[in-house]
Amino acid sequence: MARKIEGEMKSKPDMSEIEIKELRNTIKAASMKAIAENIERMKKAWPDRPQIMQYFDEISNFFGQREEEIRAHKEAGKKVVGYTCMFTPVELILAADAVPVRVGSGWYDAAKLGDRIVPVEVCPVIRSTIGAKMVHLSPYLELSDAIINPLTCDGRTKLSEIIGADKTVWTMCLPRVKDSPQSRNLWNEEVGVIKKKIEDLTGTKITGKKLRASIKLVQKATRAFRRLQGIRKGHPVIMGRDAMLVNQNSMWDDIKRWTEKTEELCDELEKRVNQKVWACPPETSRVMITGTPMIWPDNWKIPNLIEESEPQGLLVVDELCSSDRLLYDPVGVDEWTMSDMLDAVAERYLLTSTCPCFTSEHGNEDRINWLLDRIKEFKVDGVIYYVVRGCILYAMEYARIKKILDHMDIPVYYLDTEYTREDVGQMKTRIEAFLEMLEARVEI
Amino acid sequence: MISAGIDMGTQSAKVAILKDGEILSKGKAFCGFKPKDAAEEAFGEALTNGKLSRDEIRHVTATGAGVDLVSHFDSTISMMGADAQAGVYFFPSARTVVDVGAEDARAVSCDERGTMLDFVVNSRCAAGAGTFIEAMARALEVKLEEMGPLSIKAEKATPINASCVIFAESDVVSLIHRQKSKERIARAIYAALADRVSSMVHRLGIKPEVVLVGGIAEDVGFVAALERTLGMNILIPEDPVFAGAIGAALTASKRIEKVK
Repeated sequence: MARKIEGEMKSKPDMSEIEIKELRNTIKAASMKAIAENIERMKKAWPDRPQIMQYFDEISNFFGQREEEIRAHKEAGKKVVGYTCMFTPVELILAADAVPVRVGSGWYDAAKLGDRIVPVEVCPVIRSTIGAKMVHLSPYLELSDAIINPLTCDGRTKLSEIIGADKTVWTMCLPRVKDSPQSRNLWNEEVGVIKKKIEDLTGTKITGKKLRASIKLVQKATRAFRRLQGIRKGHPVIMGRDAMLVNQNSMWDDIKRWTEKTEELCDELEKRVNQKVWACPPETSRVMITGTPMIWPDNWKIPNLIEESEPQGLLVVDELCSSDRLLYDPVGVDEWTMSDMLDAVAERYLLTSTCPCFTSEHGNEDRINWLLDRIKEFKVDGVIYYVVRGCILYAMEYARIKKILDHMDIPVYYLDTEYTREDVGQMKTRIEAFLEMLEARVEI
Repeated sequence: MISAGIDMGTQSAKVAILKDGEILSKGKAFCGFKPKDAAEEAFGEALTNGKLSRDEIRHVTATGAGVDLVSHFDSTISMMGADAQAGVYFFPSARTVVDVGAEDARAVSCDERGTMLDFVVNSRCAAGAGTFIEAMARALEVKLEEMGPLSIKAEKATPINASCVIFAESDVVSLIHRQKSKERIARAIYAALADRVSSMVHRLGIKPEVVLVGGIAEDVGFVAALERTLGMNILIPEDPVFAGAIGAALTASKRIEKVK
């Protein structure tokens, strides 16, 4: 009945083509400005930024080289499969000779547009994606032949329905309990179903040989990723924002080329370790960020403030599904049979996740252990717990994590913000006070 | 050794000058539309009160939301850091310092040296800051300084919807129309603000003694309400509005010492 009444309109807003075009152009211009400004700020804070970073700057432009490349792939007959969340098994997309690309959005202005469809209480990451779809802002989203949307939080669950109004969206149902046998079964089945959908879309059979090749390809990316993370454990040879940008690029770049460029960057950084050429003074307070994903380009607010603050902070590691958790875990295959490979792929996404969408007998203990391990490995002085308004799951896990970190004598600060540029002053005050506190602790 | 602290708040600029760790003089000026002049004016007043010339000041530390508007200073400190310093200076037993300013509220926990250990801030919403009382005083048509004494006359509060300053204002008007006593409404207004501040302090964790600073600490109505909701006595220094400036001046002294 309902479907009959709504027909094609679904949640689509009433906007004229002219309005859509004007809004798109305005937001696109603001976004390109934000990209250029962020890169300028990163260069300024790190005067001897390696030449190779220019490559990542280039790829980080959503309206540049990478858009053209993906368009060319599409014109040559390849399918583009967008995804909203890191639970998506990209190995399967690659194995079908399709192009995987992450489409989550960090656009502030697009979030405002999303308010026309959903209330402001909804998480801005979701509102921003809705807004981007409304005005066809994201080239990656528009170029996608299908979008894989893992149903992690409530926002993402409803997102499928809204952007599904005029885009093919494939959901992947995640269990709420991560480690029970029935959860594993459900997820394995979901992975199997998505494999079939990808095969049907592309008309390419995912053979054992192809899957093995794509697993190996992503394992190589993991190796490069881990190498860069390893370098960040020592004295600073790379600023945190730059490492974050490199890691985020892996979500939309060609993964093979990204791996090569990241290895190249690591070669240069290792030289600098040997020459003791530091990106900032080694005594700079070492900060970790955990919480809501922080997505390029507009939502670079907090990393910018941390690394430009007085006293300065260095972002050494984060626990964000938009950067340092992305490629950390490799797919571990025992036997290269089809079923073993699929199990291994499914396991790599489910079991290694520290996302607060899960609970288990001991709550989301995996996240706490992850944080404690990284705090030790990266010699973290203080943790910024970043939450955007409406991100209920991360907000609710704070109390437990705060208690544990207090017990370990690791300062943690709860920084709540929005997709807005207007609160930069307040954010700056808080971040400066936090870094001042870290510095004072060292002096004692 | 003479040092000075400037606290550039959203409503007024405050300056404190210290000599060998003792408060020598203070100055205060309202920001109005020329906040830059206010800092200079307050500084000038403090110098005059202390019979000093500017050259005699070895180090000036600035703090406050408007610190970027201060033209002359040697270093800065965060508002929370300054509060912690001042709290322990006033009361060596202080471990939690609560500061409610015009447009924001914050709470800091500190050690015996006045080093900040943790902090929380509320600057999202005017219903959690001093401006709330001003707006409500307007709605009740009483002078700001009469609000506190009025509220403590009431034995009970008339509940108001205080989730938002704008809504609270219209709620207060309708309560007046329904002939509720101004005393009870005033008490409810303080209770609403105190509840917000108290949840913020609870998020930080209450470590006694608790010191309240900022302009609102002079308001008997708020102090009574906060003591009620926290269930404990709160320490109030003399001239609490100067806490930020004094904290900044103490930081300035420490920085002179450090260079020596």
